Amino acid sequence: MDSREETERFKAAKDLVNQLSIVLRTSHIHDPNNVAVASVIDKLVAMVNYLISDERILCLELRGEFFYLNDYRIRYSLEYLLNFDFLIREFKKRELGSVTFKDKVGPEDIKLFVRAFVSSAFSQTPYEAIEGKVSESRNMAVGRLKKVVEDDAVEPRKMVKKTYFNAVSYTQGVINKIKSGEKVSIRKAKRVVETMVDHIIEEEQLLLGMTAIKEYDEYTYHHSVNVSILSIALGQRLGLNRKMLTELGVVAMFHDIGKMEIPNEVLNKPTNFTDDEWGIIRRHPVWGLKAILKLKKLDELTIKSAIVAFEHHLNYDLSGYPKIVKAIEMDFFSRIVSLADQYDAMTSSRVYSRVPMAPDKALSIMMERSGTQLDPLLFKFFINMVGVYPIGTLVMLTTRELGIVYESNQVFAARPRVMIIVDGSGSKVKGYVVDLTEKNEKDEFIRSILKTMDPNKYRINLAEYLL
Amino acid sequence: MSEELRKVKDIVQSFQKSKKILRMYPANNPIYLTTLENDHKRFKEFFYYRDELTLKIRQNEMFFDAEQVYFNPDKDDNLSLFFFKDGLRELTFRKGLSYEELEDFFKIISLDFNSEVLDDDIVTLFWEKDFQNIHYVVDETVLSDDEEYEARAMQELEKKETEEDNLLKAYEDAFREEEVTKEASIVPLSDKDLQLLLKDLEKDSQDKASKLVDLLLEVFRTQSPNDYDDLVSFFGNAFEYIIQRGNIQTAAQTLSALKQFAEQKQTDEEARRHVRKIVLMAGSEAVIMLLGEVLDSGLEIEEKLFEDFVKHLDKNAIVPFMKILGELKSIHARKLVIDALILLGTKDIVTLARGLNDSRWYVVRNIIYILRKIGDKRAVDYLLKTVRHGDIRVKKEVIRALGELGGGGVLQALRECLDDADGQVRSAALKALGNISSEAAKRITMNKVSEKEFRDKEFEEKKEYFEVLSRWKDNDLYEFLMGTLKKKSFFRRARNYESRACAAYCLGLMGNKDALSLLNKYKNDGNKLLREYAATAIRRLEHGQ
Repeated sequence: MDSREETERFKAAKDLVNQLSIVLRTSHIHDPNNVAVASVIDKLVAMVNYLISDERILCLELRGEFFYLNDYRIRYSLEYLLNFDFLIREFKKRELGSVTFKDKVGPEDIKLFVRAFVSSAFSQTPYEAIEGKVSESRNMAVGRLKKVVEDDAVEPRKMVKKTYFNAVSYTQGVINKIKSGEKVSIRKAKRVVETMVDHIIEEEQLLLGMTAIKEYDEYTYHHSVNVSILSIALGQRLGLNRKMLTELGVVAMFHDIGKMEIPNEVLNKPTNFTDDEWGIIRRHPVWGLKAILKLKKLDELTIKSAIVAFEHHLNYDLSGYPKIVKAIEMDFFSRIVSLADQYDAMTSSRVYSRVPMAPDKALSIMMERSGTQLDPLLFKFFINMVGVYPIGTLVMLTTRELGIVYESNQVFAARPRVMIIVDGSGSKVKGYVVDLTEKNEKDEFIRSILKTMDPNKYRINLAEYLL
Repeated sequence: MSEELRKVKDIVQSFQKSKKILRMYPANNPIYLTTLENDHKRFKEFFYYRDELTLKIRQNEMFFDAEQVYFNPDKDDNLSLFFFKDGLRELTFRKGLSYEELEDFFKIISLDFNSEVLDDDIVTLFWEKDFQNIHYVVDETVLSDDEEYEARAMQELEKKETEEDNLLKAYEDAFREEEVTKEASIVPLSDKDLQLLLKDLEKDSQDKASKLVDLLLEVFRTQSPNDYDDLVSFFGNAFEYIIQRGNIQTAAQTLSALKQFAEQKQTDEEARRHVRKIVLMAGSEAVIMLLGEVLDSGLEIEEKLFEDFVKHLDKNAIVPFMKILGELKSIHARKLVIDALILLGTKDIVTLARGLNDSRWYVVRNIIYILRKIGDKRAVDYLLKTVRHGDIRVKKEVIRALGELGGGGVLQALRECLDDADGQVRSAALKALGNISSEAAKRITMNKVSEKEFRDKEFEEKKEYFEVLSRWKDNDLYEFLMGTLKKKSFFRRARNYESRACAAYCLGLMGNKDALSLLNKYKNDGNKLLREYAATAIRRLEHGQ
């Protein structure tokens, strides 16, 4: 198969997922015999049969947040974002993990599946309901959603940790090199960020978890990496391709480079800043722009980095600093980095305000700033990404257990996975992870979040639980 | 040695060769195509035995199934080291490997990674390609400057273990404190959100250089003079970048904005001085040479935009523009540069005139044309030195220019040119005299006609003289023509009739009806030429034909 043909088939795979989503969405409104549904089903049938002619069998599988067709991950573009999200959500709700087309299908096969799928929403055991009905078809089969086994996550967790610390170490090296007038390797920066991009694509929650840990000594370097990770993760939600995500990650990593010009006695001052000191702090965006433009020959990436270094403390409404004389429109990357920067700064303990905030509190403040200081559209994506209970949030559950949000839930935002650190009897426990979507035999949620608390207030070292 | 091992060795050996060939030849070259086809064939043959080929990479050697398939202890031309130094430790080719993927793979490995221009290493380029059938394993430790960093950071974190008392205090407080969480309210994304996002992304794909210069201008407006020197250098780099991309509009807008800033009352002298420096950088040789490349690339550039850019430049741009003028291949590009020099030349005629010493005739001719278009009489002194240029095309151009500019020394030069051995030069000089249209120019022309030797000129040249003379239309000339028309000769009568016919022709062109009575006398003359030209002149005078 030549590459053009291959590209076409990848497009066909993408279209197939999109079409399946359209069929199911339409079927939520109309009966499968309705003309509108029948026409979208016919289109789906044609797509399946086109692909199956070469592949002989087609298995569409949901793994994590991605669909795979015959083991190839389907990359989707922005135009398909909503339909993909819908399908992921609906599959997860029903614990449906895969749909296999064993041979060419006809409209009746699809109708059978659609009916099973739609009616399963009212079943207590949705997957079983679908499986039971689909087994009547000779040409189709379904599989249950595979749960992430905790042990399987150990290796990725190790790799993610390594990537994170590599990035921090690289950032520290860059700053030191610039300070001592040495040459900085942009090739390395790209490599570091590419690895982060890969992890965000495959293990978003693990890398986001690394940003929640705020107990490190070297805030500046960790902050740069955290902002880079949060920006990449947001960029991924916005449908940016891998190359753009890398650019965004590099740009975000260098956003605070101007801070190296701030005297250490100001940067590390344990008390509040004076007006003069604030004056110095407020110059770091301009210093950042200058530092980047001196770093290397001008190219697209340097320009983007310089723009973001200059604009990251400007607000959406152009308030903030540095003060702008002539109105400009903030760059897209700047608006992303600004969100990530504010969030990480607010939830960290060594920023100018010196008062670290609980992640959910930071989000609620950012919510108030949305539309004035923050881009409302990007914030909408951001909050969808970190969830209302971001990783690292200290939560009291209805079961009188105290825990830390360990992993967000993209489908049920209020029901993340939580690591229990104090059990219902008030005893410290080693930490086990519970899923707040779990229900008891009466179809009631076993645990829900009762309240959130500030982990910083109690000096809870998140690293103990998240690493 | 097994057959498959032999095939793997063949494949690895071919890497080195193909790497070189792809670097040397263009993609449509038969050697390039054959090499790739053979490489692809080798892989296909291997996949007959196995579904994938995995090469383990060490510093100086490569292994396949624990068998060494490559070894090179030298640093130079070491394929293994080439992969190893960027962290590649394993390279796997899968059965579905397409010709195009293989070509992309070789295109990447044939790049010059020692070049500073290349910002990507081999792994980044593989990563960006996102191959379906080429997989690799990398060792990320090569990215870290400090291999112990992770271990140290972890040790530090362990020291900060959460105290049990604090944890239990949190637990107790959880029951005491009033705060109860509000229900989560994530706003679902709508189609409208996606539309807005698409617009944002579309806008984001535009060139960022204009944004950068906007920010540099902001810094200029708001920062201290300590920043000015840096800004000059940044703007200089920005101009190179912008011009290289053919973004003339941004370059023009930037210069315009800088000038506006410099003209503002509140702008201090130091800032103005630096703006002038930036303008000089915009017209520097580096920038103009890049502009030349863009102009010659066939990129369509709007003349108005180009003019907007050039008009803001300073006279330092003249020399580089003259330099590229001789190097440009496209006519359109040369025309734009000529227009640029016409605009800029007014700022420094002396520098522009230096171009007249260029060794290339076409550059000299273009400079003469530019000086003529500028119309500054100061150029005459320089042009006069070019009158004796060895190339006829240059001579013609300079004579034309002198004719348009006039001024001291010009008439003498033109008079000399009327005696030039080349008819084209004589003709150009004659037209130039006509252009000057002064009394002295007329006198020179009339004197030339009166000379004995004039009779011996070819009829067409004689006619040209009289055509030129007709421009003066004064009585002096009228009398001169009447005299010539009447003039009889016993010797070389045919030649004399030519001169008389030309005089008749000229009287017709002059439009003076007083000449009709005399012309009527010759309309039936025995000489055919005189008869015809007299008749033509009469028609012209009577009917304006």
